[in-house]
Amino acid sequence: MLRFLVRRSLGAMVILLIISAVTFFLFYAVPRDPAMLACGKNCTPDALAVIRKNMGIDEPVPMQYWHFMVGIFAGRDFAAGACPAPCFGYSFANQDPVWNTILDRFPTTVSLTLGGAVVFLTIGLGAGMIAAWKRGTLADKLFSTGSLVLSSLQIYFVGPLVLALLVFNLGLLDQPTYVPLSEDPAGWFMGLLIPWMVIQIIFTANYTRLSRSSMIEQLSEDHVRTARAKGMSGKFVFFRYAWRGSLIPIVTIFGVDLGSLLGGAMITEWTFSLPGLGRLAVESVQNTDLPMVMGVMLFSATFIILLNVIVDAAYAFIDPRVRLA
Amino acid sequence: MTSPSQAAIAGAETPDPDGVGLTSEPSGGQEPAKDQLVGRSPGQLMWMRFKRDRTGVVSAFVVLTMFAIAALAPVISWLYGKDPWTRYGQIEPGLLNDNGYPVKPNGGIDGEYWFGLEPGLGRDVLTQLVYGMRTSLSLAVIITILSVLLAIVIGVAGGYMGGKTDYFLGRLTDLMMSFPNQLFFVAFVPVVGALVVSPQDEMPTWLRASVLIFVMWLLGWMTLARLLRGQVLTLREREFVEAAKVAGTPPWRIIRKELLPNVVTPILVQSTYMLPNFVTAVAGLSFLGVGMPASTPDWGRMFATGAEVYQSNITYMFFPGVAMVVFIVAFNLLGDSVRDAFDPKSGR
Amino acid sequence: MRTARVSVVGLAAGALILTGCSSGGGGDAGDVSKDDAAKQQVRYDFGDAAASKGPAEPVKGAKKGGDLTVYQRDSYAHLDPAQMYVSDEGTMSTLIHRRLTSYKRDSAGKYTVVGDLATDSGQASKDQRTWKYTLKDGIKWEDGSPITSKDIRHTFERQFAPFISEGPVFIQQWMAGKSGTGYRKLLPDGPYKGDHLPDKVLETPDDKTVIFHFKDPQPDLPYALGMAGYAAVQEKGDTKEKYDKKPVSSGPYKIASFKSGKSMKLVRNEEWDAKTDPVRHAYPDAHNIQFGVSYEASTKRLVSDSAENQTAVSYTNQVDASSMQSVRSDPKVKDRSLSGYQPYVGKISLNMDRLKDKKVREAIAHALPAQSLVQAFGGSGGGELAGNYLSPTVAGHTESDPYGKVENPQGDVKKAKRILKEAGKTGQKLTFAFQNSPEWQDYSIAAKDNLTKAGFDVQLKDIVADTYYDQIGKVKNKYDMYHSSWGADWPSAGTVIPPTLDGRQVQDGASNYSHYNNPEMNKEMDRISKIKDPDTAAKEWGKLADKILKEDLPDVPLMYYKQIQLYGSKVGGAVNNAVISSIDPTQLYVKK
Repeated sequence: MLRFLVRRSLGAMVILLIISAVTFFLFYAVPRDPAMLACGKNCTPDALAVIRKNMGIDEPVPMQYWHFMVGIFAGRDFAAGACPAPCFGYSFANQDPVWNTILDRFPTTVSLTLGGAVVFLTIGLGAGMIAAWKRGTLADKLFSTGSLVLSSLQIYFVGPLVLALLVFNLGLLDQPTYVPLSEDPAGWFMGLLIPWMVIQIIFTANYTRLSRSSMIEQLSEDHVRTARAKGMSGKFVFFRYAWRGSLIPIVTIFGVDLGSLLGGAMITEWTFSLPGLGRLAVESVQNTDLPMVMGVMLFSATFIILLNVIVDAAYAFIDPRVRLA
Repeated sequence: MTSPSQAAIAGAETPDPDGVGLTSEPSGGQEPAKDQLVGRSPGQLMWMRFKRDRTGVVSAFVVLTMFAIAALAPVISWLYGKDPWTRYGQIEPGLLNDNGYPVKPNGGIDGEYWFGLEPGLGRDVLTQLVYGMRTSLSLAVIITILSVLLAIVIGVAGGYMGGKTDYFLGRLTDLMMSFPNQLFFVAFVPVVGALVVSPQDEMPTWLRASVLIFVMWLLGWMTLARLLRGQVLTLREREFVEAAKVAGTPPWRIIRKELLPNVVTPILVQSTYMLPNFVTAVAGLSFLGVGMPASTPDWGRMFATGAEVYQSNITYMFFPGVAMVVFIVAFNLLGDSVRDAFDPKSGR
Repeated sequence: MRTARVSVVGLAAGALILTGCSSGGGGDAGDVSKDDAAKQQVRYDFGDAAASKGPAEPVKGAKKGGDLTVYQRDSYAHLDPAQMYVSDEGTMSTLIHRRLTSYKRDSAGKYTVVGDLATDSGQASKDQRTWKYTLKDGIKWEDGSPITSKDIRHTFERQFAPFISEGPVFIQQWMAGKSGTGYRKLLPDGPYKGDHLPDKVLETPDDKTVIFHFKDPQPDLPYALGMAGYAAVQEKGDTKEKYDKKPVSSGPYKIASFKSGKSMKLVRNEEWDAKTDPVRHAYPDAHNIQFGVSYEASTKRLVSDSAENQTAVSYTNQVDASSMQSVRSDPKVKDRSLSGYQPYVGKISLNMDRLKDKKVREAIAHALPAQSLVQAFGGSGGGELAGNYLSPTVAGHTESDPYGKVENPQGDVKKAKRILKEAGKTGQKLTFAFQNSPEWQDYSIAAKDNLTKAGFDVQLKDIVADTYYDQIGKVKNKYDMYHSSWGADWPSAGTVIPPTLDGRQVQDGASNYSHYNNPEMNKEMDRISKIKDPDTAAKEWGKLADKILKEDLPDVPLMYYKQIQLYGSKVGGAVNNAVISSIDPTQLYVKK
């Protein structure tokens, strides 16, 4: 187990290194001068040179990349302000270290993701299992057709519809906002209710479909059939054998979903104007705030990779046949 | 063995005689016995099963209709007498009010403008939608084809050659999968654009489309490639491939004649899942403001506009939204049916 | 089971149909009439010592206490006064930064320039080359130390430091007697390396007196000193670049916390003495500012007026174009709205280096649909058709309309086509550069449509918003036409015509975007600048502006910008301040 973790973490670091390099060099190859922007309209060549130096973009790109990497571990100092480790760059548009902003926005994304995930996992898996258990009955048909349609919905379509209905027509809820959980738990819950609902509509449906089909597949596996044939009760077999096995594909997909959601649910956050990582990314792209885009990109990639490792490790717990190597 | 007439029905994708006797899924062990008794090719069987599947046929019909609508957008526009570029609402007085919203209820739907008018610019929604579908679907189809081709190359190469090549391709796949894809698209479409066009020049529409296609293609092939690698890995050990190798068949021929025909099923099934995903992803990019330029009608941008105006005019979102849902549902059903038809065991 | 699936699909579509209904926009536009313009007074008097005495006239019904929630779209990129030129920063800065002069608005809506830190709006010598200011007693920084003439000297000297690049440059240029960026040579390092401005430029004989000496007469100095960019900076607390994040407050509020891009909390500055301030109040205990709230989002929140939004407001967020309909058609919401002009005039600048044939420029002017631009900005709540270069907020504005932009809001394509044909230039290629924002994207589509019909071969070039003005500001840019907007810094056409139309100002980054250079007109500008009577000057500016438009047509005027702002039902004291073109944050209070 330990060997597996060490090996995978090393691999993950190599991947992160490559991603950072690719992103960095692509971004800085763009013929756009951030110093020119910061220099404003009263710009003189002298002022421009000062700003370039302050930004650390007066060096060749590979040197800049080197400083960037060193900064992550050792921190850097910019004329506009200190950027303590881990320094993922300094946003000149925001006048703040990138890391601060990311930390600031991350709680929103975490709340959105985890709050949504708890519900879509429980409801989705539950509905899927019921559908598989009662295969062919009315409940099954209802769940599977419903989930098929719901999973085909798009956030940018359902989001405004739900807002129009619940907020503007019926006036049941307020515009979604983010209030930190520590400040006002009730406000936090109410503010995120609509985004959670919308994420759930779509994800729950996916998980219902997934868990149903995976359960059905498991029920036809040899070891399950053997168990049935040996005379074990249906319920026992269902929960003891089939359920465990059916988790593997679900855990895989859940890992992928969680990773990408934690890296910023862009469309959701954009639709509901929630100040999370995804919105930060889109805004930074629009403002050509390259250090910020770079930071968010690395941060998101880290989550995706981290969850990959976790998922692989989780296999071993779920299915004893899997050996980690 | 396969008779020529049957092979003709099944089309060019019929596997060689060696391939018959194996359904494409490695797990389909019980089926071949029956097949050989009747003597039908897997392609034929698939077609027969598919024809019996009413949902499949209906959804195929819906999907084809939508493609036809998209392809025939200019004809529809000509018959209907409007185009997606004219600002009817601005030019003809009495259609939009001072705030730029349709005067008539339900987004300005009437006998003249069947799906209503776009708030602000006052363009016709029906022609916007059919032309927009044309843009999005063509993009998605091209991205799908390119991704499938790349996935075949990488998957088959990795699986068949094994060793260092496989290891290298496997790590490449891992790497590409670790990119946060949506963020990657949003961040790199402008960057790639800026790299190929000097800031003083207009970026032609085709170039913008190429950039979109390129960026999505880069991150679109990994799932299928992984799947194919796995399949090829097991196929490689099968007797008929071993036999071909022993007989001295060149590798290229083995891949083409022995391996590829056996992975047609996962390719087809996976493509039917990929295509709608690309449609929604392209639309998502337009929604976030990095899609096609504003002068090109685009399905995704209709959602962006819809999200701006929904408070006063929710009808605008209705037609593109319903079209999208119907398209995705139909395509997913079609995908399920195709899978069932190829491999009846998995369906149920 | 599969048939069941198909029928459910049908059902779902049916359910969607139900939600798809909406009522019509109706023909009633709501109204923002010309009265606003009449109300907006276009010339401000200079106030004497009596007018400059604090405290400010109390707001009717106002009570102290309560917290205000403020939604802002953009985070403040700068908190250092010397870096402030963007209007939303300027609006907030009145709460934390005091200047030598400020604009006072009385309850009748009349504006006066009064002394803020100074005892009056300034004592000028006869030739208006020397201005003397005396500081009030009892004015203090947030740390309790008094504000002295040393701080004021430091404030102006640091304007010359290389890292100060964003703020206004009027006074620096007047001090140096040079245009462009030449003023920087006067004090290249600012005050940081021991150099100071000589007494013949800036004199501070004692702790209370500040005297400016200029080479030319500067009748507009009291206006300029009221700009956010010239607010006082504490010498002791000056941290150079870092001051931009943590300035020392002199106003009624101080910064309790500032998280760039996210939030800012302003709390009462106990050292600020209301008795010294003729302009500001500090009714709410705190202003809790949230950044990153788009126009659309703030509008939706304020329209909903739900519990936490009742005490909410935005200083500068406007009602977004697509929400105009819902705001203006709901009387309850309309009651909580303010509308007014912005100082900007939206124009299409025609690149005179590339479009040398006046006929071609005329054809463009006739073809462009001005109404489409108003429409893109949300109809009459967002803008008004413009006939000429001078906005109704500037002294000297008239209703002249030489190219029929008001008369023919859709543009006159036929006439344009005829003129272009006469010039023999049908089929001419025309590159139209525009900012990549929804409004201008919409407009570019409309403009291309009309111009193409008139016989041009139109190339659209969208430019990312943040680099737009850099791109079109290059003298050697390769675009034929591009939009630009310009607003007066104070309500004199002297801050409009010369910056945008003086041919001697053509350089990279300058605001003469059409590169118009007519020596005869340049001379005329010099002449009018020296007129001391403001009313005569205003009339002359108006005449000159129309003459340039009619004879040379360097820019096509399209729209005078307007805006609608909202506030929560428990927010009192909301008034539109014409000087900052937004809600005045110093007058707000929370209703109990």
